[in-house]
Amino acid sequence: MGSVGDAAPRERALYALKSRARHADLQRHVVAFGRELRAREMLVTSTEIMDGLRTLGRVDLGDRHDVYLGLQSVFVSRTEDVPIFDEVFDRFWRRIARVEEEEPGEQDPGSEGAEEGAAQPSGEGKEQLRLTDPDSEGDEGEGEGDEEALPLYSPVEMLAGKDFSRFQAEEMAEVARAVLVIAKRLATRESRRTRAASRSHLIDPRRTVRRNMKYGGTIIELARKQRKIRKPRLVLICDVSRSMDTYSRFLLQFIHALQNTIGKVESFVFSTSLTRVTDYFKGEEITEALDRIAREVRDWSGGTRIGQSLETFNSEWARKLVDRRTIVLILSDGLDTGDAEVLRGAMEELDSRAGKVIWLNPLLGSKDYRPLARGMSTALEHVDVFAPAHNLASLAELGRHLAT
Amino acid sequence: MIEGIRRIQEMMEREQYVTDRGIATTAYLAMELKKPVLIEGQAGVGKTEIAKVLSSALGTELIRLQCYEGLDVNTALYEWNYPKQMLRIKMDEGSRRGIDAQEQAIFSDAFLLKRPLLQAISGQEQAPVLLIDEVDRADEEFEAFLLEVLSDFQVTIPELGTIRAQHRPYVVLTSNRTRELSDALKRRCLYLWIDFPTFDKEVRIITTKVPGINERLAHQIAMFMQAIRHVKLNKTPGVAETLDWAMSMMALHQDHLEQDAVRETLGAFIKDRDDVAKLRGQPLEVLISSMNGQEEEDVSAWVQSVTQRLEKELSTR
Repeated sequence: MGSVGDAAPRERALYALKSRARHADLQRHVVAFGRELRAREMLVTSTEIMDGLRTLGRVDLGDRHDVYLGLQSVFVSRTEDVPIFDEVFDRFWRRIARVEEEEPGEQDPGSEGAEEGAAQPSGEGKEQLRLTDPDSEGDEGEGEGDEEALPLYSPVEMLAGKDFSRFQAEEMAEVARAVLVIAKRLATRESRRTRAASRSHLIDPRRTVRRNMKYGGTIIELARKQRKIRKPRLVLICDVSRSMDTYSRFLLQFIHALQNTIGKVESFVFSTSLTRVTDYFKGEEITEALDRIAREVRDWSGGTRIGQSLETFNSEWARKLVDRRTIVLILSDGLDTGDAEVLRGAMEELDSRAGKVIWLNPLLGSKDYRPLARGMSTALEHVDVFAPAHNLASLAELGRHLAT
Repeated sequence: MIEGIRRIQEMMEREQYVTDRGIATTAYLAMELKKPVLIEGQAGVGKTEIAKVLSSALGTELIRLQCYEGLDVNTALYEWNYPKQMLRIKMDEGSRRGIDAQEQAIFSDAFLLKRPLLQAISGQEQAPVLLIDEVDRADEEFEAFLLEVLSDFQVTIPELGTIRAQHRPYVVLTSNRTRELSDALKRRCLYLWIDFPTFDKEVRIITTKVPGINERLAHQIAMFMQAIRHVKLNKTPGVAETLDWAMSMMALHQDHLEQDAVRETLGAFIKDRDDVAKLRGQPLEVLISSMNGQEEEDVSAWVQSVTQRLEKELSTR
């Protein structure tokens, strides 16, 4: 620390101060950026934000493409998220470009920002507001606005408090029994992995050597292993449209029982759109669960759009929930009012991902039903098992199909 | 573009890998931030190739772990060499060594079979490239185990103790997206999506990998591939197929695409019976006849128009 007139240290200190401020600014923007991505349902946590900051320290901040590519590889974790990232990045770049502008000697990234702005003139006013205070909770407010703007379901599709409470106790018990049989089947598939066992036909060399050390290495006792039991995953997709009314309650009961017997079960219901109901069934009493579903699933007893619903399932859930070990169980009568081509495409995709696709059709129970419904017949070529599900006996029969 | 990224791009191009800025940037950051890279994309876009190129560009060893369903820790990490252990025990039978000493002898480094993950961690000289291929095929328990290894770069072998990586390997994971990987694994990695190449990139790939090919043929093949990838096929041909095809055409001394030659070499890039049936005849003719004289034109416009015509052709069947 120096004598009067020695300007260098002061300048250096000033510079350090300035660059620290700039860094803090950047930090703020990256945090806001990450938060915005998270609000759009992208997988962003503090790790990504830290990595984002580290990335910015390693690329040319004046080069939009550099920054874009760098942050993309940090923040994006599935290619479907790229459009969202692009959109949010656009805004972020304009903010960071502003930070950069204050630095003398930098190239002028502002012009690029302006260009970007011109491409999307409608958002401009909002951007400015955001710039002044990236930490404000404006984002969330906006999100709510978006939600309100979503079209509401037509009243016909709305559920008018259906009564599910009149369940008979014996009926419940019987369903539970049928489900147990099915669950047992499901729980006995062998894996290629092994575990130690006392009686088996497979010898475990590793443990054999260990165990026989005490005999000086002469193999006297054999250690054995057996194949691990592998539980496949199960995804249930249940039709609750009007045409299924008589059955859907019964089938939901089935889902409930199954979900509480086997670990990995995911369940969905649909009529015109798809709703995930896995959580409704977790540990709750069946009647409570049904009540909640009745209250909250909006389009109960509406029309049927199997194709669209399965398409939604494919795009939003399939990759997470369905692999070659997964059995997909569709419970529907196949009386589709939607586009048969959409259904065919959706079934094809589902079939290519899943280990097995089983379609249970309650109408199959009646003698004169032939799968002539347009939707059903197009879907059939991608179904591994097509079976009835109109009573307990048919459900018990299902157990046979589940063991692959 | 900063120097580091350009250097990596040059390095990869020197290894005959036609790259782009996205790939180079991710590779650069992976080295700088010391994070694994998760590469996703359709089959045949060159995901695995990146790891190979990286290792030869860096002049380091490539260690590959191919994943499959049921892959377990013994196959991925280490296994004791039992036959060797038993032989040793037999040989020692006469000696008066105690059990403890004997145990120590046979559970030592010399009896350890190092599998890929352990190899990658215990490298002495320099950081290797560890390629974990098709990680989506392994099951979730294995993924969890992998996560552990990738976060600490150390493993514990009960008989030997903890082995810690002296040089953190460069890790490349690839996935064909047959299932979604866990969020935890994704967060551990940088992400790179590789798409089918653009027309220009594909031409560059062909001319780099198939030396001696004439420009016209390379252009035509690349155009053909751009169009064919818009047709809904069971198995969309990737870059490997493009190269196979280009080499087949070379072997047959063809210098441009024409009906007969394409029909004869169809098997080089269409490897599904239904797809062959779908394309044979009229669709191929439409494609090839519209191509002649188009080499200098706007490729994307051509692709668009020819795809429309193809679709019409296929839907009338």
